[in-house]
Amino acid sequence: MGSTLKIPAYTLLSLWLLAVVLPMIWVFANSLRSSKEIFENPFGAPWVLTGSPHAEEAGEPDPWDSAKANFANAWVTSHFGTFFLNSVLVTAVSLVCILAVSSMAAYALARLPFRGNRVLFLYFISGMMIPAQLILLPLFFQFTRMSDALSILARPFGAEVQLHDSLSGLIGIYIAFSLPFTILLLTGFFKSLPGTLREAGIIDGCSEFAVFRHIMLPLARPGLITAAIFNFLGLWNEYLFALVFVNSTENKTLPLGLASVSIQAQYKTDFGLLFAGLVIVIVPTLLVYIVLQRQLTSGITMGALKG
Amino acid sequence: MARVELRNVRKVYPGGVVAVTDASLSVEDKEFVVLVGPSGCGKSTMLRMIAGLEEVSSGEVEIGDRVVNDVPPKDRDIAMVFQNYALYPHMTVFKNMAFGLMLRKVPKPEIKKRVGEAARILGIEALLDRKPKALSGGERQRVAVGRAIVRDPAVFLFDEPLSNLDAKLRVQMRAEISKLHNRLQTTMIYVTHDQVEAMTMGDRIVVMLDGEIQQVATPTDLYKKPVNKFVAGFIGNPPMNFCDGRLVGEDGSLHFHSATGGVDLKVTPAHYDALRNHIDEDIVFGIRPENLLENKTQVPVAGRSITANVEVVEPMGAETHLYLEVGGGTFVARITDDTLPAENAPHVLDAEMGSAHFFDARTEARIV
Repeated sequence: MGSTLKIPAYTLLSLWLLAVVLPMIWVFANSLRSSKEIFENPFGAPWVLTGSPHAEEAGEPDPWDSAKANFANAWVTSHFGTFFLNSVLVTAVSLVCILAVSSMAAYALARLPFRGNRVLFLYFISGMMIPAQLILLPLFFQFTRMSDALSILARPFGAEVQLHDSLSGLIGIYIAFSLPFTILLLTGFFKSLPGTLREAGIIDGCSEFAVFRHIMLPLARPGLITAAIFNFLGLWNEYLFALVFVNSTENKTLPLGLASVSIQAQYKTDFGLLFAGLVIVIVPTLLVYIVLQRQLTSGITMGALKG
Repeated sequence: MARVELRNVRKVYPGGVVAVTDASLSVEDKEFVVLVGPSGCGKSTMLRMIAGLEEVSSGEVEIGDRVVNDVPPKDRDIAMVFQNYALYPHMTVFKNMAFGLMLRKVPKPEIKKRVGEAARILGIEALLDRKPKALSGGERQRVAVGRAIVRDPAVFLFDEPLSNLDAKLRVQMRAEISKLHNRLQTTMIYVTHDQVEAMTMGDRIVVMLDGEIQQVATPTDLYKKPVNKFVAGFIGNPPMNFCDGRLVGEDGSLHFHSATGGVDLKVTPAHYDALRNHIDEDIVFGIRPENLLENKTQVPVAGRSITANVEVVEPMGAETHLYLEVGGGTFVARITDDTLPAENAPHVLDAEMGSAHFFDARTEARIV
């Protein structure tokens, strides 16, 4: 790139960086401040760092206490603890299932020459063209009927199946909705791996599954990590399905919880708590991205070996 | 330790492409057989059918007196070395070699012993902890061979294993694989498109073209008695010279006249019997470059000499290749004289007619 292009490019990138980082810093800073402090100066530095200007006044709380109170209230009173665990559970179970199913499907579609391979691939991919909003209502009613039907089957075991307002129902939807994209992504990855590795494996004594498990899956790790990051971001922040299918507080995920707190905040105006909740949502995303990002780059350099 | 037998094997790919038409071949125990032919001749498909990587459309494949048509590759007691080595990039050299044994639940100390032994034979003991990425082409090649050796299979299959190596390394590995065969005394089937590899390595050579086996013979027989024009031209470097023409009876002897003129050669009486039925018929005359001899006096002898224009002189060191033009056709002569002829000047060569071949112009089969 010529130096003439570098200046505008870096200027743009710097502006972009600021646009991303500044709000994030603002959120982190305000999560340490009480609502009163925020209203005094919304863009000021937190008193926990600078010290409160009202420190001398009687009855003035210690800034650290209000910071801690923000997180404690968010975690306990506003149920962010429950939401957090729900989100972790839903995201983790969904991710594991998505990766397990997609990687096997993608390997078969990419490598095994069976009849209808192409049609099946297109069938999966066509799932990406269905907007979530379109099937929201049909799915809602389908869930009702499915719950009834499954309950009849489960009655002899004394169980009742409830897909509405349950985490398992939500997980099911998440898996189904993430499969098309993940399969598309991973099929591309498996296709890029040399086919003779499979043949070498088969001659070495692998079953088709052993080829997948011992040879192809380790080599597709960069693809799996990419798929994991994309799906994690999507699932962790998913709002629409959660909003429609989950009602009770004990089943809410973080995005839902955050929304309900922000709605309450209109009346209670506890912005410190709201920001603390935001931090609880953001931090895992950041952590996951940082950890997996490293693996992603190290995985890519591993690459497949050509002669 | 096994013989391999193909009986009327045919391979038709989905879409109707016939890769192997109707091949029958029997490879003896401990024999080194090379399948050779131009690309697309079906030699790799044959090998892959023996390996079990391709299904046989019809016919039978037998390994060690057992029909293996429906036996999966892992149970055929074979090992294969691939053209691009197909080493597992995420495993160390040791693991690459041990993988097949691990899958077969061979005890760990035994695996260690066998991998160590194979590594010693191939001189790759120092590389066992490395990943394939950190190896040179030749080292990868050795690991690929090592992976096959540790399994101690009944049959080794090689699919153009040397074609990704540079010329010098190829010659070296060629000799090493031959040595390995002597040492292991195992049946080996080797696919290559390089006729030099085929000639130097094989006990017997199978020449293929368009999915059909043209000839199965020892290197010497293949060279001296090619079954048809294709085999004659494919084996040997520089290739055999061909010249279209006619056989003409002249005052009691038989002469070959080239179609474009300039060549008039008297056939050796020993060949009369075989050629009797082809007099006044179109025929292809073939002579190897080393059977065109330098005429010391440069005085043409009627019925034996060819006077040709020297186009290119290629000194190779021990010998020299002359590219000559006569009557619109090109000839190559391989001479060992130190005095080289001038380019773009006429030059007289004598044809050693006792070693010449004649091919039927229509069927291309060798007559003599």
